[in-house]
Amino acid sequence: MRTFLTMLGIMIGVAAVVMMVAAGQTVQNEITKTFDSMGTNLIIIGPAETVSGGVRGGRGRPSVSFDDVESLKSLKDVETASYVVSADAQAVYESNNYGVNIYGTTPDFLIVNNWEIDQGIMFTERDFKAGKPYIVIGQTIVNELFGLQNPVGKTLRLKGQPFTVIGTLKEKGDGLMGNDQDNIIMMPATTLRQRIRGSYRPKYTDIAFVKVTEEDKMEAVANRIEYQLRARHRLKEGADNDFMVRLMTDMVEKVRSVGFILSALLAAIASISLVVGSIGIMNMMLVSVTERTREIGTRKALGAPNRWIMFQFLTESILISFIGSFIGMLLGVALSQIGGQILDKEVPISIWSVIISVSVAVVVGVASGLMPAIKAMKLDPIEALRYQ
Amino acid sequence: MIKSTPVIEVTDLCKTYYMPGGMSQSVLKQINFSVSAGEFVAIMGHSGSGKSTLMNILGCLDRPTGGVYKLDGMAVSDKTDSELAHIRGREIGFVFQNFNLLMKRSIADNVSLPLIYQGVSERDRYERAVQMLHKVQLDGYQDRLPTQISGGMQQRVAIARALINNPKIIFADEPTGNLDSITSDEIMNLFTDLNKQGITIVLVTHEDDVADYAKRMIKIDDGKKVYDGPRSKYNGKDAPY
Repeated sequence: MRTFLTMLGIMIGVAAVVMMVAAGQTVQNEITKTFDSMGTNLIIIGPAETVSGGVRGGRGRPSVSFDDVESLKSLKDVETASYVVSADAQAVYESNNYGVNIYGTTPDFLIVNNWEIDQGIMFTERDFKAGKPYIVIGQTIVNELFGLQNPVGKTLRLKGQPFTVIGTLKEKGDGLMGNDQDNIIMMPATTLRQRIRGSYRPKYTDIAFVKVTEEDKMEAVANRIEYQLRARHRLKEGADNDFMVRLMTDMVEKVRSVGFILSALLAAIASISLVVGSIGIMNMMLVSVTERTREIGTRKALGAPNRWIMFQFLTESILISFIGSFIGMLLGVALSQIGGQILDKEVPISIWSVIISVSVAVVVGVASGLMPAIKAMKLDPIEALRYQ
Repeated sequence: MIKSTPVIEVTDLCKTYYMPGGMSQSVLKQINFSVSAGEFVAIMGHSGSGKSTLMNILGCLDRPTGGVYKLDGMAVSDKTDSELAHIRGREIGFVFQNFNLLMKRSIADNVSLPLIYQGVSERDRYERAVQMLHKVQLDGYQDRLPTQISGGMQQRVAIARALINNPKIIFADEPTGNLDSITSDEIMNLFTDLNKQGITIVLVTHEDDVADYAKRMIKIDDGKKVYDGPRSKYNGKDAPY
């Protein structure tokens, strides 16, 4: 019974480490997957952050115009570029209505972000130039407004204006922040500007994307973009950029390192329970040595060498930590897989987390069994025989 | 009685305990005697006389601080711990006052315990345990637990355990101390029988009627030998012989 409880300590420790590392890995994988779907050889250009009196004040005024982005397409090593002007609106179809995000963009948006059309078609360059009222809608809108009907060819209303659905987007699932990436209506940016915003504001983008041909050209392209935009914006030497250029690869690195720190932190917390478990082994073995003092004395009197006594106790603690960590490993793997099933996520089991946690448990178990074993070994047989 | 090699030969044996603070206490002072093969010796003395210390040294559980102790012609004083363990396992059999059996192990396991340390296979151990149990009239008890038998029987198990390695000598430390008088007689008769078969026995006791089974008596008082001679001629006076 006591042996089992001690084993339980080690079991929980190992299971916790395996599970926590698996959880951390899962988070990391999800992040990576999301980024991969966006494509990593992407450069993102947004408005500069406003800085007043040393305080960062979020996004500044949009400064990158449609034409700026168009001009970037001709830069070396640029595959294509696109941008988004966004708006919110209520989409109405017959008696249904639903709040949606509208992306005013260019046909190349699909290429840049690795998005795909499910049914119908994307609007063309010609549609864009003409500012046609054509829209491509996400799956959430398909479900909310059209149900089982085929939406292609139907007309829905945004801000009182009719728009024709010419295509639907493939389902993408939730984004990194839990936002619904399928609750989107895409239309030419020109159309959005004229019909939704109804403004005569200059043609500025909220965010622009540049797709680079190869990942190792990212830095070079980013520099060219900066040079080009500064020239176009007629910025004097020494003046701050009125835009911001970010590399997707850098962002991926950042988020990945956050994920890694998360995994490490979880593992560190879990290994505390592993240490507690091994202290349990030491405690039990010490009690056992005291309880069996007479037996040790008898064995020694009958010719047991000191080595033999030490190995007897050491074997016991090795066995406990080994069996305990093995069961703990199975438990950890099983529980994390069950958890994965419930959350509908793929949970990878890192073979290293298993190997390391089991070997740490065994090493720590042996180390904590060593002290009691040496204590048993050093017992004086005369004293031990007299012990009550 | 002069024989070729004495089993035990003790010359000027001393044991002094040094305590912190420079104090020291002599427990054994210049003890000399020898025991030949086939003898049955009782070491007697009051508690605190040093007889237990003498017994521990003779049983290779402790080392003297002075003098020479030869077991079967071999000087023991300068052996290492593991060499002493080796000697205890092969040359000596112990019988304790409180039996010291392993209560969770079968009687056969208990009897054959010393053989584990000599690398004897489990099957051979069991067979030899059964043979030894026959010698102490405990046939058929090999698979029971010590908790299931009486104290006298437990001591007989302990005696079988002492015999299993064919020792040169058996040391019995107050072997009847925990037993009633009838059972004590049984145990002492068993020792007498074993002695008749040629086994050397050294018995430590403070009880006169137990000592009566022995042929020779050594009396220790205050760390000194005060009598050494036939038990029958001991007149109760602690005079040097």
